Amino acid sequence: MATVTAPVPRIALPGVLKHRAVHKLLLLALAAAVLVPLANARWASGSWPDALTVDLTDPLTRTSDWIIDNRDSHPLFLYFFGHVSNAVVLSVRAVYLVLLAAGWAGVTAFAGLVAWRVAGVRLALGTAAAFLACGLLGMWVPTMQTLALMVVAVLASVVVGAVLGLAAGLSDRMDRILRPVLDTMQVLPAFAYLLPVVLVFGIGVPAAVLATVVYAAPPMARLTSLGLRGADKEVLEAVESLGSTARQRLLTARIPLARKELLLGLNQTIMMALSMAVIASVIGAGGLGDRVYQALASVDVGAALAAGIPIVLLAVVLDRVTGAAGDGTPGAGRSGRAQWAYALGATLVVAVAARLLGRLDWPDAWVLNIAEPVNRAVDWMTAHLYSGVPVVGGTADWAGHFTTWVLDPVRDGLQGLPWWSVLLIVAALAWVIGTWQTALTAVLAMATIGVLGVWKPSLDTLSQVLAAVAVTLVLGFAIGITAARSDRFERLLRPVLDVFQTMPQFVYLIPVVALFGVGRAPAVAAAVVYALPAVVRITTQGLRQVDQAAMESARSLGATSGQQIRQVQLPLARPALLLAVNQGVVLVLAVVIIGGLVGGGALGYDVVFGLAQGDLATGLVAGAAIVCLGLMLDRVTQPTERRAKKGA
Amino acid sequence: MALTVPTRKPPTDDSATPVFAVDGLWKVFGPKADTVPGDPELASLPAAELRARTGCTAAVQDVSFDVRKGEVFVVMGLSGSGKSTLVRCLTRLIEPTAGNIAIDGEDVRAMDKSRLRELRRHRAAMVFQHFGLLPHRTVLDNVAYGLEIQGVGRAERRERAQQVVKKVGLEGMEQRRPGQLSGGQRQRVGLARALAADPEVLLFDEPFSALDPLIRRDMQEEVVRLHREEGRTMVFITHDLSEALKLGDRIALMRDGRVVQLGTPEEIVGSPADDYVREFVRDVPREQVMTVRTAMRPGDCGGTDHPGALAADAVVAEAIKVVARSHKPACVVEDGRCLGVVDHERLLDIVAGTELRKEAV
Amino acid sequence: MRRRTTAVAGSLLLLTVTGCGAADMTKQASPFANAQGSKTVNLSVQSWVGAQANVAVVQYLLEHELGYRVDTVQVDEVPAWDALSQGRVDALLEDWGHPEQEQRYVKDKKTITRAGDLGVTGHIGWYVPTYFAKQHPDVTNWKNLNKYAEQFRTPESGGKGQLMDGSPSYVTNDKALVQNLKLDYQVVFAGSEAAQITQMRQFAKEKKPFLTYWYSPQWLFKKVPMTEVKLPAYKEGCDADPEKVACAYPHTPLQKYLNTDFAKNGGKAAAFLKKFKWSTEDQNEVSLLIADQKMTPEEAAKKWVDSHESTWKAWLS
Repeated sequence: MATVTAPVPRIALPGVLKHRAVHKLLLLALAAAVLVPLANARWASGSWPDALTVDLTDPLTRTSDWIIDNRDSHPLFLYFFGHVSNAVVLSVRAVYLVLLAAGWAGVTAFAGLVAWRVAGVRLALGTAAAFLACGLLGMWVPTMQTLALMVVAVLASVVVGAVLGLAAGLSDRMDRILRPVLDTMQVLPAFAYLLPVVLVFGIGVPAAVLATVVYAAPPMARLTSLGLRGADKEVLEAVESLGSTARQRLLTARIPLARKELLLGLNQTIMMALSMAVIASVIGAGGLGDRVYQALASVDVGAALAAGIPIVLLAVVLDRVTGAAGDGTPGAGRSGRAQWAYALGATLVVAVAARLLGRLDWPDAWVLNIAEPVNRAVDWMTAHLYSGVPVVGGTADWAGHFTTWVLDPVRDGLQGLPWWSVLLIVAALAWVIGTWQTALTAVLAMATIGVLGVWKPSLDTLSQVLAAVAVTLVLGFAIGITAARSDRFERLLRPVLDVFQTMPQFVYLIPVVALFGVGRAPAVAAAVVYALPAVVRITTQGLRQVDQAAMESARSLGATSGQQIRQVQLPLARPALLLAVNQGVVLVLAVVIIGGLVGGGALGYDVVFGLAQGDLATGLVAGAAIVCLGLMLDRVTQPTERRAKKGA
Repeated sequence: MALTVPTRKPPTDDSATPVFAVDGLWKVFGPKADTVPGDPELASLPAAELRARTGCTAAVQDVSFDVRKGEVFVVMGLSGSGKSTLVRCLTRLIEPTAGNIAIDGEDVRAMDKSRLRELRRHRAAMVFQHFGLLPHRTVLDNVAYGLEIQGVGRAERRERAQQVVKKVGLEGMEQRRPGQLSGGQRQRVGLARALAADPEVLLFDEPFSALDPLIRRDMQEEVVRLHREEGRTMVFITHDLSEALKLGDRIALMRDGRVVQLGTPEEIVGSPADDYVREFVRDVPREQVMTVRTAMRPGDCGGTDHPGALAADAVVAEAIKVVARSHKPACVVEDGRCLGVVDHERLLDIVAGTELRKEAV
Repeated sequence: MRRRTTAVAGSLLLLTVTGCGAADMTKQASPFANAQGSKTVNLSVQSWVGAQANVAVVQYLLEHELGYRVDTVQVDEVPAWDALSQGRVDALLEDWGHPEQEQRYVKDKKTITRAGDLGVTGHIGWYVPTYFAKQHPDVTNWKNLNKYAEQFRTPESGGKGQLMDGSPSYVTNDKALVQNLKLDYQVVFAGSEAAQITQMRQFAKEKKPFLTYWYSPQWLFKKVPMTEVKLPAYKEGCDADPEKVACAYPHTPLQKYLNTDFAKNGGKAAAFLKKFKWSTEDQNEVSLLIADQKMTPEEAAKKWVDSHESTWKAWLS
């Protein structure tokens, strides 16, 4: 049986927990009292002792060299990876050619018609407008490149995810094996996936597509399995009682019954694929991400925005349309099919017409150059808001103060701690909040970082994560509590949160560079902005779901609103708040790592460095450290039982 | 007028092969479940003790009964008594641990996969408590689902489904989806789906307990009507005594996985096997269940003409009306032959439940 | 039965599509190349403006004079070597010296061919702003740097002086240099050249002192005059061991490289790329137009092409 810790005693938990927590801490203190003097006597050093590190640089460099030397001759590459790579290139190319052949008019018409069939007129207009906007910004070709890559990556992710999900959904043993793996993959930052694929495939589209598939398939697999397992038992029994074969049961009952989860899986896969397809520009994905990457490299905020807006539009449109497909009932039978046929026909007509008119390429004359005005605005901002504004100080001053007064002390503090005490703190936190297994995983992950020899940069990254999480939680809880108390505020907030949650991580880097310049502070700021929506949303939901009877009784006893929040709502919403912390940490880490592109330094920088210098050893070690850090942070903040579905 | 009250068909002759013959059936959940039925010491333990000793739960313990052709056989018991497990064992939706099950003399437990599918497809269909409908299909497609699984062509299965839909009174709703129907309508779909395959036996697993009381009564009458029209054999699981008494030709009363009494409603109410059953049937309006045959005093009616005579299967309530109106004992007649008479003293004994004691004395 | 048929058909299809058997992924072009039937050249762009200027002019001439379609991909130098070897890009126009890669790809595998000098000589060094060097002339010798460490401190560098480095993709020995020359400095990576430039201009506006890794030719010298700090002189081979470097960076004639297949079969485009050679001044002119006047690379290239006809005519002959 699964380890279901009954949810019943949760409300009475604080007392019990304190008790148990004290026990655990005592036990841990005992263990520490024995082990620490031993460890300290042997390897007395503040930072991770050199004696305990394993230098992987040589073997990794050798591996990487071997791969480069044998890529065009070894059978493994010729007969396996070569075909994979070929297949990716061919399919991306095929999709890309179809998109180009359809021309901007054809693609726009097709997207609009699909949206209309799936989600209604309003979204159809929105979709068409979004595509036209991409053209208007002069980003038609990059948009099509990203789209071609996305189509292939999403299809592959869905197939891989669905197969894994079927396996996990139908077989308990597969489920036991796959679930922890998928759960863990879900918390890892996108950046960590880049290097291993580069090692094998080299920089380019195949690597980008495969990294995207690896990143985007887990949600599909998880939700497929969840849907198959969550199917109404009695319906399945009824179907069996009618004498169906196992295959009939799967095809006519289990899969259709899991429709909602499957479509949700598709939705999440698409969103994650988009996010990754953009980040993968670092390893040669091309398309919109590449334009943002190039623009960021030259701090050209205007150009970055021109490429960033299509990404956001694409994200919002894809999210809404697939989301609507999941909510709605499927189109009614034959008439639906006929309308699909009309839609396809209309697309064909538009495409052919555009072709005959010679209007396949987006006309240059219709391009709106927003880069210049935006850059002027940014320049003005830099000149007036950036620094030396009386009383409040400029944004750059804030960033400087934040670096000096928050980031530096935290980093130095962490790096100054003896290594064993860091492990001890990790163990204590993870054990108090979870089980001894989570504590063990967390400590091992942290120790692995030390062994890999990236103790210092990892603590640097950790300090940025901690600072960002603190800011996120303060802001998030404040906004969440306000939203939970005021319906109007929540109504105003909701569309904002919706949009922010669908945006790919990469996009957040653009405005913060404009505001805060370059360094660790903007990386932290981007992370805060990225993680905030999820934290606010989970907090609000948690507070609103607090038992109304408890609230009513508190009110009837004459509690002030402050007392209501402190004594009733917050304690009762504790599980939701813990989840918010967990989500906040995971999301913050993802962006802090990407912050390496805007001067965040530490592990993210090492990955970029590894890619840029072809020094895959450095990059891979940093990537592994990121994985460990993600694992550790997740376990330390993970309440005993993970929710089936994540808030984000 | 005397015959407006539902009368019960006498069970068809006992000599024919029963539709279901269940003998010594066990279902034990838990580790090493197989060992429990074979071990006489464990097998005789009460459920709670068995669980303490072995960690096993015996949902069905050594149950035997026959379901005769054309009868409504009710299995009745409180929740946890093992009745739902029992009915699932009949078509091996739950695999029995030990014992024998035969359908029309054929051993169900010995069936291979395809034979078992054949059994489920054509011979026994089930109606579920929460309907078990496929939410993504229309009413018509849900009803035709069983036929689809059998591989019946689209046109034919739709036509047959259409007929069944009509039979259960859902005409005009064929294109709706289950989500758009009320509970009673959904259960009609469930019933229609079971009927569509034209099975030999219908199995009902507490089909009406999720419905409102008024709708439940409608559906019960629907079942009575169907049974009267088609004479199909039915096995009906319920926890509702009045439902059991209303529908059942014979009732098996279960407690803790064992059958504590098996008999006609009249036998259950009239002569409870033990205190548990007695307590169970205490509040039953006996005049609605007991028949005149039990109440009458053997004797001659005195004469060949029997004005206001009662049928032997008429219930006591009916006899009370007749006797009260005429102020004199009434004749009990079967096949034109006089069996005996009932007077108000006899009838009152039945209502008060005191006739047993008198007989015992 | 049907399943097996599908499987067989599927694998047959896969075989035909992949050309039976071996698939060499080092021979794959980008899926976006040659998209609309015209001849396409794939150029790699590096993140610094000088490289963008090369590519802008080459792209303009290829498109407008030779009728090619040009795709550009942003790749850093080292990965660009790999991409070049695989044919994912056709040309690398400005390389600052990667002997290890040259050995592997040009000499051993012969998948990359040298295409001659770019005509520009590159030099990397440490620089301080001229306004600061004038106040403190002795800062231009590395031996005195520790004296000024205090003045070069920033929040990022903590207790030490800040030596600012740029993009992670640049050739740099700075960390080793700081250590081997026993300097009280912390190398701070700005993360990208643009970030570094932004920072330098910010400092210059406020006339603050700073020490930075920088290189020439670079247009920024025109905006922020800087003076080089003398490091121990460069001798052939003194930078052989990256761990023990304690000397200045060399002066490097920047090189062009082409994919071998492209060099052989690239027709006019390949011939043109081999001949392409311009001066430091020319490159700076275009760089300034792009970076300082915020022109698009295409506009900048057009402006330069319109006024230097004699120079580029020679490349096309």
